[in-house]
Amino acid sequence: MYYLRLIRSFIQVSIHETAAYRSNFWISLLNAVLELGAGVLALVILFGQVETLNGWTLPGVLALLGVYLTLGALRALVIGPSLEALAGMDGEVWSGKLDFTLVRPVDVQFLASFRTWRPLKLLDLALGLGVLGVTVTQLGHTLTLADLAAFLVTLAAGLLILYAILLAFAGLVFWSPGFLFTWLFDAFFQMARYPVGLYPGWLRLVLTWVIPVGLMTTIPAQALTGELPLALLAGSLLTALLFFAGATVLFRTGLRRYASASS
Amino acid sequence: MNFHGGYALIKATWLSWLQHRSFFFLLAFGWMIPPLIYLFVWSTAAGAGTVGGLNRGEFVAYYLLLILVNQLTYAQTNWTVGDVIRYGGMNTQLLRPLAPIFDTLSTEIAGKVVYMLFVIPLTALLALVLRPELHVTPGALLAFIPALGMAWALRFFWGYWLALLAFWATRADALLALQDTLIFLLAGQVAPVALLPDAIHTAATLLPFRYMVSFPVEVLMGQVYGPALWQGLAFQTGWLAVTVTLYALIWRAGVRQYAAVGG
Repeated sequence: MYYLRLIRSFIQVSIHETAAYRSNFWISLLNAVLELGAGVLALVILFGQVETLNGWTLPGVLALLGVYLTLGALRALVIGPSLEALAGMDGEVWSGKLDFTLVRPVDVQFLASFRTWRPLKLLDLALGLGVLGVTVTQLGHTLTLADLAAFLVTLAAGLLILYAILLAFAGLVFWSPGFLFTWLFDAFFQMARYPVGLYPGWLRLVLTWVIPVGLMTTIPAQALTGELPLALLAGSLLTALLFFAGATVLFRTGLRRYASASS
Repeated sequence: MNFHGGYALIKATWLSWLQHRSFFFLLAFGWMIPPLIYLFVWSTAAGAGTVGGLNRGEFVAYYLLLILVNQLTYAQTNWTVGDVIRYGGMNTQLLRPLAPIFDTLSTEIAGKVVYMLFVIPLTALLALVLRPELHVTPGALLAFIPALGMAWALRFFWGYWLALLAFWATRADALLALQDTLIFLLAGQVAPVALLPDAIHTAATLLPFRYMVSFPVEVLMGQVYGPALWQGLAFQTGWLAVTVTLYALIWRAGVRQYAAVGG
């Protein structure tokens, strides 16, 4: 309960900060619409040349785009900016300001993950969910309750893996404070725009088991089309939990190494 | 024109940027990923056959060349010029007995040297793994050189005049976001320009973005030859003239009413 009240306070602060700059709203809206438009147009251009791509049709890949936009929005809403404040450019580890965060009477991992909110990203979230809503009707497959449940479970697993990888990359900053590991993740996350089956064999393996971007978007999209074997659903949930545990261990081990930034 | 001072500035900037090469390598890596993703997507689409007249090997060659040309022409003037104006650094540059364009040119050269140090070996490695197919005729190579040079100049001065808008406006977010989307769609990243649907293809031929990035690649690969080549070169030259004129006018007007923000 205490943690939930803290999150509510963090959200209130971020809303106050955001409300001070009204032009940001229009610019965020423009950015969200442009990202959506570019993503959809890219797929329309691609499927203007081919009918199917390794078994995926345009509605299926559009649904995957919806999942990608939704996950991206959830990341940009809270865990992204919070971990960037820690491990990003001029982050707290680099500048030594982590000292002040460590002194607070709350778990550091909780603070580092949920401290900074960007309420304008709700626009992106709305657009992502909108794409999902529209494409689900086009899939030519009636969505059963089991499909919806499977989708929500795999989406949650995808979000957990996303958080775990970001946390792990942020944790690596304790070993090498100058390097922007979280920016490295950005590059890999972009590969989640397309079904993992489109990439060549070796890359597909890396993207499914090493840096599981495949699990983040491809599996939930497959759940929507009803083609998800139960084994894969259980596997993705198990992988998510394992990654979360590993990332937490990595982060806390790194935290023990932290010795501030001044001499 | 103080060429001696200019050369000294270029050398000093280049050496100092090399010190932070891991940061710039990370940036370059991030910029490489979108064309790489489309490389995989289109080569999967082509499979064993062709799509839009290109086979798998040709798509690989196209996108690897696009990565190189995109990196070589990439505009960084938004932060080397725009931010310099916004945060008051332009004061220092204007006081020196050196035209401020030398500062911009020195960061441009520094940037390109550091990025290419990373991108060229990595692209060579990718070429070994992915097996591109490239047949270059002497005529294509001859036309490639001016096309590449003009592409660099066009993108540089286009970015420069946009960045100079910082003399009047403290933010350029909306314009930049729009431009990024247009470059993504029209400059041969999403698909080679020849594969774009009609309306978008027309936009790509008329607007300058294609001539900044994908036009040299199309010339080298022999996709554009004969009358289409001359038309393309004419468009490129025309846009370059317009852009340089815009830059000169905006610079003169901007410096005259310059007001600094920040300490």
